[in-house]
Amino acid sequence: MVKEKNAPGAVLGWLSSLKLTLVLFFVLAASSIIGTLLPQGVGLPELRDHFSPLAASLINLLALNNLYHSMWFRVLLLALCANLVACTIDRFPKTIRLLRSLESPFDSQKLSRFGLSSSISTDVPFEQAQSIVENAVCQSFGRMCRIGSEHTGGVGPYCAVSEAGRWSRLMVYLVHLSVLTVLVGALAGSVLGFKGSMSLIEGQSSDEVTLADGERIRKLPFLLKCDKFEVSFYDTGAPREFRSDLSVLEDGKEVLKRAVIVNDPMTYEGITVYQASYGIALKEAGIELTDSDSGEKISMMLPFRQPVNIPGTADQLMIAEYLENLMRVGQAVEFVYFKQGKQSSAQWILVDRPYHGNRIGNYLVRVTQMDKAPYTGLEVKKDPGIWLVWAGFAVMTLAIGLTFYSSHRKLWVCIETDETGNKTTVTFAGRTSRNPHVFEEKFETLCRTVERQLKTKN
Amino acid sequence: MTSSFLLSLTTFAYLLCTVLYLSGTIFRFKPLLTAGTVVGAATLLAQTAGIGLRWVESYQMGYGHAPLSNMYESLVFASWAIMIIYLIFEWRIGQRALGVFPALFSFLAMAYASFSKDVDSKIQPLVPALKSNWLIAHVMTCFLGYAAFAVSFGLSVLYLVRKRSPENSNPHGAMLSFLPSATQLEWFNYQMVLFGFLWLSVGIITGSVWANSAWGTYWSWDPKETWSLITWFIYAALLHARNLQGWKGERVAWLSMIGFGCVLFTYFGVNFLLSGLHSYAR
Repeated sequence: MVKEKNAPGAVLGWLSSLKLTLVLFFVLAASSIIGTLLPQGVGLPELRDHFSPLAASLINLLALNNLYHSMWFRVLLLALCANLVACTIDRFPKTIRLLRSLESPFDSQKLSRFGLSSSISTDVPFEQAQSIVENAVCQSFGRMCRIGSEHTGGVGPYCAVSEAGRWSRLMVYLVHLSVLTVLVGALAGSVLGFKGSMSLIEGQSSDEVTLADGERIRKLPFLLKCDKFEVSFYDTGAPREFRSDLSVLEDGKEVLKRAVIVNDPMTYEGITVYQASYGIALKEAGIELTDSDSGEKISMMLPFRQPVNIPGTADQLMIAEYLENLMRVGQAVEFVYFKQGKQSSAQWILVDRPYHGNRIGNYLVRVTQMDKAPYTGLEVKKDPGIWLVWAGFAVMTLAIGLTFYSSHRKLWVCIETDETGNKTTVTFAGRTSRNPHVFEEKFETLCRTVERQLKTKN
Repeated sequence: MTSSFLLSLTTFAYLLCTVLYLSGTIFRFKPLLTAGTVVGAATLLAQTAGIGLRWVESYQMGYGHAPLSNMYESLVFASWAIMIIYLIFEWRIGQRALGVFPALFSFLAMAYASFSKDVDSKIQPLVPALKSNWLIAHVMTCFLGYAAFAVSFGLSVLYLVRKRSPENSNPHGAMLSFLPSATQLEWFNYQMVLFGFLWLSVGIITGSVWANSAWGTYWSWDPKETWSLITWFIYAALLHARNLQGWKGERVAWLSMIGFGCVLFTYFGVNFLLSGLHSYAR
């Protein structure tokens, strides 16, 4: 058979080839391996610390440091989808034709050419043989359907088929459809949804989510308030549970109150809030400044991230950051110093180690008191594509199981008598789309049963 | 009787089981193979009791969780899953000479769990991320998949051995007379991969659903996730390759062995060499 060689046909033929599928599977596997071996989500400067300048630039150029979100990895996934769709376009119509086609007439000669066939000759009259065969087939294979009724004159050959599991041929398409559904759901989620984090101290409320890239802020249509946050530990010191009692406020009114723990998120208006982490936040700190020249001491209170005037001057001081353990030397506070007429400067001050390096401008700094509070780290997400992903997963599980453990089984039977009318021949043939060994065993058993019954009748 | 006693007993019993299967195959002595099956089944029962007892003990300690939460417990379950899958398979096909590899893998998993310094056998409380009903579903499905792939690895090796040494052409030929034919082995192997692939898929899916409720994302390209996907790609390639002419047989056997290599890396390599969200599995 000569295939059509027009351009779209050739492209479709190439796209739908099983070889392309295999190549894509191997290339996807290999590139995923690279992604697990190289650090992901790090920038070029960090790469230079681990690799030679040339290797670092190469990794950066090929986006191997952000492989799974790179353009070329997406193209590979897209190619797999295209392959899937092309295969479906190529094969699905054939499968449908196969499933809808009516049984064409056949005879015993055609059946004997099947890979799986068997012939039994007997002296039992035609009608008796027919009823024996019908009974045996009905018991082991199911309902029979007579074919080729145009042979009506005299004692024509009896031709019938029994088949089961036609639908199983469609299951493989369902598996492929489910893969596409999951990928479309993931795409919808990444385009239409968002994901970020929010930290709340007890009593605090906010509607600002810091998005995963760490720079952009997303406003929620409601306020999230942390009423209470608790951490409990096992005797071993390992955390047992962290729990945030949250309330949702709309126009100043409380519309939902719920506790959120790990593995039990809260969803409101399509936005889901997860318990992700916890830590200690600095609310306010008392400091003492010593002027290096005059030896004059100034005490002041600084709320977190609010600039405060240094008494007696026009300069301002602000706490920008607090870390519980800076580079393993203990608590540290980052101050920003706004000096009139000069550029602002930032400086880390070590709380637990008062030493001469703890200075801002002309002042030696000592942190005298700290008002700290635990905060809860929440993950906030909106993913409108998730239902497609779940549906894809459900169909995939079901369809993979059915693809592997169901089959399209078909049995052909032909009973005919020779010219003399004394000898009857029963011919069986069978074919299955899967599990040939099980089918063959069943087929052999049927043939033996029929043979035995024909003998006893004789 | 404590769970640790039963599980130590299990380790040595699986060694005995391996020796019985191996010597039965080498010396072509059927009673040894039967003894292998009996020891294997008895050990499986003892191990089941051990796992159950460990579950009870964790409740007595006030932690109360299924024994599927760390490296030690997962190794014990892997060993259990390999044996139960193999024994059911043996019972269904009525062939006893394929037990060497499954018994060996069950023994190795138990031995590694019991004797390695990297594996802590203490019952530990669950960290908040693991406190979920998905724990049982996810770990069980994944390890049923891994176990089927382990059995499939053994079948692939035997298939290649059988295929490459024509019967009676060498002195070892007779030794292989206990083995099923190459065609049968190929078929068994395919069935085992199908079974494993189904469970691996369900394992990835349950993990994904769980991750979405614990971490707020169903897929984050964490090394464990990525490696399970790599494994999935390899076995998916195997299943598709079998439909291509010329790939049936040896190439499929090699793919199954490569796939099992990926399983091992997903399990051990990721835990010990790469860091990620699954770090508690150490």
